[in-house]
Amino acid sequence: MAFDFPAAVDVRSDIGRLFRREWERLARPGTWFGGADRVAIATAARAARTPGAPPVNHELVEAAETVAARPATIRRRWVQSVTREIGFAPYVELVGVVSRLVAIDAFHVAIGAPLEPLPEPERGEPSRIEERAARPGAAWVPMVGGASITQALSLVDAEASAQEDMHGPLYLTYEEMAELDYVRGLSRAQMELVAARTSAINECFY
Amino acid sequence: MLAHSQMLRASADVTSQPLDARAITDPAVDPLLPAGRPLISFVDAVLFRATRLEDTRREVLDAVGESGLVDAAGVIANFEMMNRIADATGMPVGKGTLKRTREWRALLDLDRFRHEGG
Repeated sequence: MAFDFPAAVDVRSDIGRLFRREWERLARPGTWFGGADRVAIATAARAARTPGAPPVNHELVEAAETVAARPATIRRRWVQSVTREIGFAPYVELVGVVSRLVAIDAFHVAIGAPLEPLPEPERGEPSRIEERAARPGAAWVPMVGGASITQALSLVDAEASAQEDMHGPLYLTYEEMAELDYVRGLSRAQMELVAARTSAINECFY
Repeated sequence: MLAHSQMLRASADVTSQPLDARAITDPAVDPLLPAGRPLISFVDAVLFRATRLEDTRREVLDAVGESGLVDAAGVIANFEMMNRIADATGMPVGKGTLKRTREWRALLDLDRFRHEGG
């Protein structure tokens, strides 16, 4: 796995490291899925965002396609239907895998780099570690400590950690978000303009 | 979108930068923020895989430089992730927030994106 970006754009080294770590994580057995399932979910998510890709029928694949390509169409009834079949925790793992894959692919498109080939899955059993502190609440999946975007994947601790790992290098850490005059390559206001416009196109009200 | 449109307004206020936030939902509006127009065109081109993506990338490079382009790519990537997490987990917006943001939502016409989850 390379994540060698085109020489024309000087991508910070922490981003390359972050993506390599995510690819390793994607290939390894997760909490509820083995490496082969995780890579299959990522494959379906990427294909769903590729024009002309043939539709595939399988429960996990359909869920991965929906989260990847049609997130604004997701409703409580659909989540109930999927989680009745596969369970809340595997669904949360799927959401984590797909959302990070989409993020990494979007970064590549944005800087003009070809998409990184998906990794070869590693063998092994998922850990099946249950987060016992998670409770049902105002959101559609159980979370630790109530419904909050920072806790959205907390039912599967490894997925919540992976989400937080991405959040800082790509945007801001949760602590940095309090700094309204933060400046890196963009000013904070410019970052928020990009964030809000991205969310508008994705029709994400939250 | 609601949360980060408010952070945009707060950041522009704190740093005394001009802003017309209607540009978030209406690309015909000039956001007034420095480099605002090329940044919005770039987001649109990336998400819609538009043929003019390369042109918009060059415009962003000219306006904010290489580190600004990498930041913009990172923010787009992060919100591609976070939007999916919010939508797929049914992340609710609190009643207090909804009450406080009524005028703001009307200004940006945000309620057209509301559904049972948000």
